[in-house]
Parts: sequence; C-alpha cells; structure tokens
Amino acid sequence: MRYYFVNQDMNEFSLDVESKGGTLEFTVEGKKTPIFIRTLAGKKYYSFDEIKWQKLATLKANEALVSNSEVYKVFRGFKPSGLNKGGAGALITQMPGKVVKLMKSVGDKVTKGETVLILEAMKMENEIKSGADGEIKSINVKEGQALDSGFLMVEIEEGK
Amino acid sequence: MKSKRVLIINRGEIAIRVAKALNELGHVSVGVWTDNETEPPHLEFCQEWVHLKGNNNKDTYLNIPQIMEIIEKYKIDGVHPGYGFLSENREFSETLAKKGITFIGPNPDAVYKMGAKDISKQIAKEAGVPVVPGSTGEVATVDEAIKIAGEIGYPVLLKAVAGGGGKGMRPCMDEKEIKANFEAVKREARSSFGYEGLLVEKYILNPHHIEVQILADKKGNVFHVFERECSVQRRHQKIIEEAPSPFIGTDEKLRKEVCETAVKCAKAVNYDSAGTVEFIMGEDKKFYFLEMNTRIQVEHPITEEITGVDLVANMIKVAFDEPLDFKTQDDIKIQGHAIELRICAEDPKSMLPAPGKIVGFETTFPTGIRFDHCIYPNFTITPDFDPMIGKLIAKGFNREVALRKVRSALDGLIIDGIKTNIALHKVILNEENFAKGKYSTNYIGTVKPQDKVTEKESMEAFMIKVAGIEMSGVNS
Repeated sequence: MRYYFVNQDMNEFSLDVESKGGTLEFTVEGKKTPIFIRTLAGKKYYSFDEIKWQKLATLKANEALVSNSEVYKVFRGFKPSGLNKGGAGALITQMPGKVVKLMKSVGDKVTKGETVLILEAMKMENEIKSGADGEIKSINVKEGQALDSGFLMVEIEEGK
Repeated sequence: MKSKRVLIINRGEIAIRVAKALNELGHVSVGVWTDNETEPPHLEFCQEWVHLKGNNNKDTYLNIPQIMEIIEKYKIDGVHPGYGFLSENREFSETLAKKGITFIGPNPDAVYKMGAKDISKQIAKEAGVPVVPGSTGEVATVDEAIKIAGEIGYPVLLKAVAGGGGKGMRPCMDEKEIKANFEAVKREARSSFGYEGLLVEKYILNPHHIEVQILADKKGNVFHVFERECSVQRRHQKIIEEAPSPFIGTDEKLRKEVCETAVKCAKAVNYDSAGTVEFIMGEDKKFYFLEMNTRIQVEHPITEEITGVDLVANMIKVAFDEPLDFKTQDDIKIQGHAIELRICAEDPKSMLPAPGKIVGFETTFPTGIRFDHCIYPNFTITPDFDPMIGKLIAKGFNREVALRKVRSALDGLIIDGIKTNIALHKVILNEENFAKGKYSTNYIGTVKPQDKVTEKESMEAFMIKVAGIEMSGVNS
C-alpha cells in the first residue's frame, strides 16, 4: 500500500508499506525497513529491532498527520488531483476562525507585512498580514463571517 | 453531611476535576453538554447529564437566564463554575445568592471587589500592599492612555478591567503602539468578558510571576497554601508552572512575607473560598500586587501535590459550610517540588492555536505523574474553546527529581492528529536556563526555545504513524 503525504505548501513525499504477518515492511526511496508489531493486553506495540518495544498509538482516522509544526494530509493508496497552490498574495485561513475587522478594501495598495484583516480564533485576535507588495484584487469575506480552515479570504495582485 | 446536587457550569479537564471531587464528597455531580459539544468527555465523571442549549459560549456557558432555568428544573443546590466562563462574574454569583443557591466560590462582594482591577488595586493599597504604578481607574480614550503612559514611563501594559487568563492584554513600548493596540484590546475585552473597560499600568522588565494560593472559610479563617511560580508564559498566558518558586528558592523570609501579604489581601475583602493572589516580583525581589483571581486556577494541582491539600474538595466543603480538612496554618507544609506543563492544541513554533481532531492517544508514565486532561481518540478540538487540553503534573523529592520525572513522562505522551506544544516542552525542559530554574516571564521572548523545535520529524516517526493507521483495523 502506498501512502502519500502532502503539506500545506504542497510539498509531498510517499512511502510504501506491506503487511507480512506480524511485520510491516516499509520501502522509502528503495530502502526497506521492517517494523515489528505485537499485541499486549489489547494494546499494540512496535519495534524496529524486535528487542526494544514501544507503545503504538493506533490512529482511528487518517485525515491528517502532524509532525511538530507541519500538518500533512494523508492519502492511503491514491493521490487526489486538483490540489491547488496558494501564492504569497493569497491569504488563506490556517485554522477555523471568525473575521473581526477588514482593514483594507478592493483596490487598496498593500505592502508585505501590512495587516489586511483581523481574524479571531480561540478567543484570540490574529492579524492577518499581506505576504507580498501589491494591490487587493478580491475580498471573499465579510466582517463577522465564520470560516473553515483553508478558506481563501483575500487575493492580492503581486507587484502592482 | 447532607448530599447536595451540584451543577458544573464548565467543560474539559476542570469539569472532570470538579466532578471527581463532588463524587468523592458524596454530592451529586451534574454535568452539561451543548449543541456544539454533544459528547464532552467530562460527562464520564458526572452522575447526571443536562442539555445546555446553544452552539456558542454566549448562548451556553455564559447564558445566566438559561442556567437559572436548569437550576430550578433540576433542583440544584449549588454551582461550581470552574475557571473562565462565569467563574468571576458578579452578576451570576449575585443572581444565585438571591435565589438561595450556593455559589462554590467567594461571596459576590469579594468577586466584585477583586474582579474589577481598578478597585482591587485600591483595596490592596489601603491594606498596605504595594501595587504597580498605573491609571487609578478606567481609561476611556487613546489620548488619556498616552497621557498616563507619559507620567509613569514606558513600557506600559494595556489591559482589560475584567480581564484574566492573558486575554485582553498587550504591552506597548511607545505612543505609536498604544494607538495601534487600544481598539484591539477593547474588542478582545468585549468578546471575551463582555466588558470593554481598559487600564494602563507600568510594565516591569524581567519580572517573575509569583502567586499565592488562598483557602478561606466562611468563619473568617484565611490560610495560604504557599506559592507557585508561573514565569514561563507566552502571550501573557502560563504554559509551565512550578511550586515552590525556584526564584524565591530557600529564602524562607521572603516566602513568608509574600504568603502573609497574600493573606492580608484576602482578608481585606472577607475572602471565603479558594483563590489566588498574584504578584509580580522584580529582579530585586520587590513584589507588587497584580490581582486576585477569585476562582480555582488551572495550575492548582501543583499546590495540591506539594502540600497534600485537596483544594477543589476543600473549596466545595467551605461553600456548604463544612470544616476544612485542616485546622491551623502550621498544618500545611511544603514537601517536595511539583511542575505542571500545560498541553495545548497549538503550533509548537508559532504557539498559535491549532484546532483539529485527535486520532491517536497513548500514555506511558513513570510514578509520581498526574495527568488532568480531557483527551481521547476522535476528540475534536474546535476554535470555540481554549486550546488547553491537558495538564501534565510531576511531583518529586526536589526540583531535580520532578524535572527528571516530567521529562520521562513527556516522552511517554503521544497525541496524534493535531499540533501540540509537546515538542516545545521537550526543548524547554532540556534548556540550560530552565533546568537551573533561572528564568523570568520574558523567557519565551528572549531565550526563544520555540526556535529550537524542529519542524519535521524523522522518516521513522512517519513510519510509526503509518503503522498506527495500518494496525487500527479500520483499513482491513
């Protein structure tokens, strides 16, 4: 089975895994690595050498995996097409939130680092700043609007 | 003792903590669920479950009329508010008092006096307790804030009168920053506390956050349960707390002075519950009254661990006029050292909230560990609530042992599917200044442990995650 990992910057990698009895055999860039699995009192344990064993957190869903401060979407067995990429001029929500205040209007000039709008998430106000110098091309949100993660809030035409 | 029916108007780990104490004391724990959290883990510990209608905090946990209806319908004797939400709301405690319902917390007058920062400062001053220089009352306009800042000198702190928990607070280095932040702090104050009044005060450099736990009964007995230090903060919110304070260290004279000053503050408002007096201590060991939190605090477990005093149970007991578990101040002694790490659903580098769904959860801890949490696989953390999902508490014979235990515990704490600050805690616990106990509230800002958190884990870590998916049984 091939697993694909895609992060928010559209960086991706893949690994292959094959189940052989009590062993999962991984193949990454041609290199094979086995992970041994044992069950003890209803819990799963893993080992790379069959000597040192550690508790395995079984994952009930494979929607997203996190590696410290990077989030990867996980695709088991397939990679969907049409994952579009946002540039520096596209302000996309990184977490669900609510628009508190719009500081700019369509047609306004902005500089890189300038606050374009204020987004409230988890009772905190966050200033959403322009990633580029340019002009506001479109604003797709209203004040008070609740947004999901991954929503394109504002588009900035770079260099204009 | 007659068994009471107690409604818990809170959620998450604190609702679990309160329910456990109620059950242990022989009371009936009544928990609530809401439309935006229909399967809250705290109900596992509550004997009765009640529907609090609505899908946002304003309509549920902050909705006094609906809560009063529930109290009447389910014949509730008392309410525990936990922390946050209505825990320090004068209107709520007064409404309960009028109906003869016990508020498990201090009397409404103490909530009012300590809740408004301008009044609490005045009371502390009158009781002979030093306070941080600042505005004497609410500051209505930007110009007024700039004028006061000019008098007391920059840097200054803009903060909400009704604030707490780090919300509605911003430091300003100059006039420009006051102009830039004034309206934002007001808005945060209004959305978090429903009241937008602001204060201006002096911002002390390299300060230590020292707070003293108070436990008082309704007969006028006020005890302190020693101090905690909560100097590791981000956005003015604590992430690591320890007791006793490493900055006070072996200076028993200073410890006694700080704790007795706290008792003086509590007595000044006829305090009659569990509460915390917060001080800011400069590098010169001079300390100033900051505020009194008239509620049980997030970090109460470390005090419980080093003294053996069950703060939540005693808070409930005194509310129903039952005696405390101890008789005199001398009954309370410090034994050992405790450290608490707040486990939050947030990016370990930017420290910004990162809601999501927990897909895997396992723990393997050494002895001496207490984990107060509300985590389970499939638990979805929404932006509606605070990102704190658990508190990892270690107790040891001394600070070194507590550190050893908490490091080991952190290695055995696996939370998958969301970003957490576990990676950041690992860096801090192994960082030299923290290990030596030499840090101020500027620690995160100056030492920047967040910069040492690696963004990506090894390929082996990904293989283990994939093994977790393969072995879950959902794909076979």
